[in-house]
Amino acid sequence: MSEPLAAGDFKSALKPIWCPGCGDFGVVQALYRALGAIGRPPHEIAFISGIGCSSRIPGYTTAYGFNSVHGRALPIAQGVKLANPDLLVIVAGGDGDGFSIGGGHVPHAIRRNVDLTYLVMDNQVYGLTKGQLSPTSPRGRQTVTSPDGSLEQPVNPLLTVLAYGAGFVAQATPADMPGMTALIEEAIRYPGFSFVNIQSPCITFGQEDQQLKAHKARMKPLASLGHNPANQLAALDLARAYGMELYTGVFYRNPDPPPTYDGLIRQRQAELQRGEPRSRAKVLETFRKS
Amino acid sequence: MGPIIGLDLEQLTLRNALDLAILIEEEARDRYRELADQLALHDTPEVADFFARMARIEDRHRSELFERRRTLFGTTPSSVHRNQLFDVEAPGYEAARAFMGVRQALETVLAAEVKAYRFFEEALPRVMDPEARALFQELRDEEVEHQALVKTELARCPEKADDSEAYADDPVAQ
Repeated sequence: MSEPLAAGDFKSALKPIWCPGCGDFGVVQALYRALGAIGRPPHEIAFISGIGCSSRIPGYTTAYGFNSVHGRALPIAQGVKLANPDLLVIVAGGDGDGFSIGGGHVPHAIRRNVDLTYLVMDNQVYGLTKGQLSPTSPRGRQTVTSPDGSLEQPVNPLLTVLAYGAGFVAQATPADMPGMTALIEEAIRYPGFSFVNIQSPCITFGQEDQQLKAHKARMKPLASLGHNPANQLAALDLARAYGMELYTGVFYRNPDPPPTYDGLIRQRQAELQRGEPRSRAKVLETFRKS
Repeated sequence: MGPIIGLDLEQLTLRNALDLAILIEEEARDRYRELADQLALHDTPEVADFFARMARIEDRHRSELFERRRTLFGTTPSSVHRNQLFDVEAPGYEAARAFMGVRQALETVLAAEVKAYRFFEEALPRVMDPEARALFQELRDEEVEHQALVKTELARCPEKADDSEAYADDPVAQ
């Protein structure tokens, strides 16, 4: 067995500007370790993000990175993967970036099943812009945009991605660093679209019950409950408890992963290349017929 | 899951134990450096300097262990990998706060020293090799000395040194 890469091999010289105590410090550390265990060198990895505190992650790694446009990380990541299928593509962002501004891209990334890993740092608030309601803020939460308490039903990220058919769905918290590291590694190794919802506390605008101390007391590893991750219906049932229970671990892992979109594209390209090269006239004829 | 993964303490030899101890100090050193950087960036220079000093202390401990290891076992590669450790002596990221006081920083260090003591104390009954056991006992006892040093510093520190809440963003309507 070759010597695994060290977490430090993935750490860039750029120092994170997150608030001291932010949960994202734990997430990036777990990510470095997971990548070290996977063993792909930084130049074979691309991080794509949108906008937000957690979307700064690409800058903190030595891999290729694109801190892109708010909510548009998933389409860009799909393009990156299709253009260069050999790259290991990881998408990182917050709950607002993923389930509000970029919410429309989630179902399509899932149904295409492009082989990428989507890490959402879910802190239930827009922290970068100083504490507004986000799509996962619980009902009743008081923020600068909901001074009398939110009237909205929050998005349930776990239920959403399961319902759209994601093949790998998990939840983690920096309160359990070994567990989170193992989950990120497993998600990256899954052949297809994989999703990890990370309960990453906002130290500045988050509530007491959302901090790591509370997570340590509340978290319930799914493995200890005897959950079978191959059971999609059981996963859906457990995911309904989002916001009430803090389940950690793999909710669902498709035991028979379907082909990935990038794999099918390569297959189609190979098929087309096997046939006689088509003349320009024949190609144009195809369009004229339709 | 404990703070160490993939390492059978019952099979630990003196060489493995030294490798592990070096990495424990290295992990703590790196975390204190990170915390120092974070607090320097967030206008908390006094605590940033304090954490930078802690990083130098952990680095000195690491160097001492490294020298012992080199004397005994030469330059053979380490049998333990850094990825196997999860905050054995390193303070958690969640301990840091912008504008935290030196007292709060000392409490963070004390909690880290207590955590390290517990690790060695709980590991000891499982370590079978007599030389490795002796090293773990030595390291555990050093953690007690470190705790005493921190407590002395804490006693000198004013009770209300932490003003992190005074400068925190106003949690409007929360």
